[in-house]
Amino acid sequence: MDHFPGTWGRPRNDVYGAYNPQYLQTTGPKTHTSSPAVTGTSVIGVKFNGGVVLATDNLASYGSLARFTDVKRLRVFGDKAVVGFGGDVSDMQYIDRLLESIDIRENYSSNGNMLNAKNLHTYLAKVFYKRRSEFNPLWNHVLVAGFDGEGKPFLSSADLLGTTFSAPHLATGFGAHLAVPILRRLFPEETPIEEISREQAVSALKDCLKVLFYRDARSLDKYSIAVITQDGIDLKEDEQIEGQSWAFAERIKGYGAQTN
Amino acid sequence: MTSITGHPAGGEGIGYSFSQPTAAPVKQHGFYPYTDNGGSTLGITGSDFAILAGDTRSTSGYNINSRMVPKVFKIGGDDETGEGAQIVLSVVGFAADGNALKERLDAVVKMYKYQHGKPMSVSACAQRLSTILYGKRFFPYYVHAILAGLDEEGKGALYSYDPVGSYEREQCRAAGAAASLIMPFLDNQVNFKNQYIPGSGEGHALEAKKAEPLPQTHVEQLVRDAFTSAVERHIEVGDNLQMMIITREGIKEVFHPLKKD
Amino acid sequence: MDKLVAQYSRPQHQNESYSEQEQQDLTESLPPLSLKFSLPPVDNRASFLRAMTDDHSNPSCPIKLAHGTTTLAFRFQGGIIVCTDSRATAGNWIASQTVKKVIPVSRLSRGEDKPSNDPTPGLLGTMAGGAADCQYWLRYLSQQCTLHEIRHKRRITVAAASKILANLTYAYKGYGLSMGTMLCGVTPQEGPALYYIDSDGTRLPGNLFCVGSGQTFAYGVLDSNYRYDLSVEEALALGRRAILAAMHRDAYSGGFINLYHVKEEGWVHHGFDDMNPIFWKTKLEQGEFSNVTSEL
Repeated sequence: MDHFPGTWGRPRNDVYGAYNPQYLQTTGPKTHTSSPAVTGTSVIGVKFNGGVVLATDNLASYGSLARFTDVKRLRVFGDKAVVGFGGDVSDMQYIDRLLESIDIRENYSSNGNMLNAKNLHTYLAKVFYKRRSEFNPLWNHVLVAGFDGEGKPFLSSADLLGTTFSAPHLATGFGAHLAVPILRRLFPEETPIEEISREQAVSALKDCLKVLFYRDARSLDKYSIAVITQDGIDLKEDEQIEGQSWAFAERIKGYGAQTN
Repeated sequence: MTSITGHPAGGEGIGYSFSQPTAAPVKQHGFYPYTDNGGSTLGITGSDFAILAGDTRSTSGYNINSRMVPKVFKIGGDDETGEGAQIVLSVVGFAADGNALKERLDAVVKMYKYQHGKPMSVSACAQRLSTILYGKRFFPYYVHAILAGLDEEGKGALYSYDPVGSYEREQCRAAGAAASLIMPFLDNQVNFKNQYIPGSGEGHALEAKKAEPLPQTHVEQLVRDAFTSAVERHIEVGDNLQMMIITREGIKEVFHPLKKD
Repeated sequence: MDKLVAQYSRPQHQNESYSEQEQQDLTESLPPLSLKFSLPPVDNRASFLRAMTDDHSNPSCPIKLAHGTTTLAFRFQGGIIVCTDSRATAGNWIASQTVKKVIPVSRLSRGEDKPSNDPTPGLLGTMAGGAADCQYWLRYLSQQCTLHEIRHKRRITVAAASKILANLTYAYKGYGLSMGTMLCGVTPQEGPALYYIDSDGTRLPGNLFCVGSGQTFAYGVLDSNYRYDLSVEEALALGRRAILAAMHRDAYSGGFINLYHVKEEGWVHHGFDDMNPIFWKTKLEQGEFSNVTSEL
């Protein structure tokens, strides 16, 4: 402990070593070693009257390389919940195994798998939080979609630090910057979700995926989309972004050698 | 190694097949385990009530994650809705730590009720929260907590904490992103700091105005004013105001809209 | 090998849950003051903690702890005077102006510290440095002192109590605790006794101590006016005046003057008073603080 009045009570350099800001760094070379290798980009989701839609593209990138172009990042749990994964793909596969073993356990109980999307989200958030507290994070940002205990549509997010939040529409990664403003414009948060139809929600997500493909360099035009309703899950894993128009690209100027 | 009491920490030694490793292996990472989810909380007490309030915005960086993430929680209720609770906790800072803290305290208060057959008093709960926070002295919860309830005499009680558990009973306290905006307002309007009785003297003999408990409607208005003002000047505060009003009749939760820009 | 088998023969989800012991620890409502702390799983814990909390080396560190203080205590013929300011700072932010930095130690002296003329038996501890460190460890010490009373049917000596605390802080040396505390008490065995204990594990008996960021200012006043044979009134006034000087010159000290007198029968509280009127009274009536203008 430092006894000099100006720095009284603080750690002393000769005892604790010089102040080491390494633990504070969130960017830079040090962090890079512990950042994920093969990654998936955005996950986007919207609640509508009677259900939830969730979508991701089918790309797993290796840095800036579009390495695997057929990776399914939506995972069905039970018969009324879907998890969408962004972030590290190996950690996604680990969580997939985790959920598999829980599904097996639950199905041995006399009532079958009773875990709804809300329970699943709580569980995942706790796993993430426990891992971050061990400094061994699962490098993902997930959206969980389905229904809560009262049968109302449920959409919530959990990330590698264990942070959770829920909203009528959510997006992770680049989607938080590009898709959320589109969704907020289409479905202002004051409008009750009862006024949003399934068709509107699906077409909004397709629009968002298109915009993300235009501007997110780590995205793909092949995507998966899951519509969760009380009747079950309609999961399509081999969709193609349609109606692309790259006319806007002509007007983009000011990069590299081309300055005006 | 999670304990420093001298007991062996790991499953090494006698090789029981299913012994659980009690500690995580030491890892070296450039991993930063905290984030700041913004927002602000505020508590004021009166002679027979306490009010704890917070905005409902959740942010990360310049992004708004959600406009509806409550920061104020009922502690020790009978069911999921918090019915029957007599204590309220607000947490601001890193939301995941806040949630973990809330759930731990909730479990403790429920266990107390189950083991002792009576609800935990606010002063006991306040002390317990302090030790929970201090238990993570070397890997702190990144939260500023405020605890509110009614004391044994039925008076409003408010306890505020630093991240590692130093605590103090106060009349009012603001915490979080806009604490530096709200707290001076509270000093002036609740504790009457820098207010003097007109005509009580000349120059240095002017008498300071004494603080006294405020009526409930007045305090509710102060809370709303504090937040509408903070929203004007802080980007991490906004969307909705969540207010928990604790009186002898129980806890009333109300929401008010705030600006959403 | 057994560990490997165990790791892979259990269902996957069991690896991600807490052990029963951990779950019990999390919800335990009974033994709250324990020496079990969760530690960050990194190689250099003290360095991690410092990176997060040292607001002096890095003013924008994420977690700011309540800090900064002036406290003093001195022995004189009538017992011991203990006086503190009441400010807590987190970085440049004044976190509180109403901190109680004098903490009664031992069970008998619990309760609200209202000014009263009846002495309350027990020891007093002061708080400088990390507010949480002082509160927690003085409470822990309080528990140990109470256990001592129960076991031995007599009050613990200040020497013994201070040694419990010093042994603790020494055991945690290098972990990053920050506390500078003074233990004061009058016992039949020792008479008036005053010890200084800090987070380095130092334990010193003495006549007069000032601790905290404002210590130099308080020492200046105290050393020039201190005599062992001060009357009680003079001693109280000197304690108050020394803290006032520190509040005036040290930015990290301020708020209210908290004054205690420890006597044979126990301690007496002599008020928790706003420094501002006291400052003006001192200036205008005694003519001190001539560096400040009194014009309005």
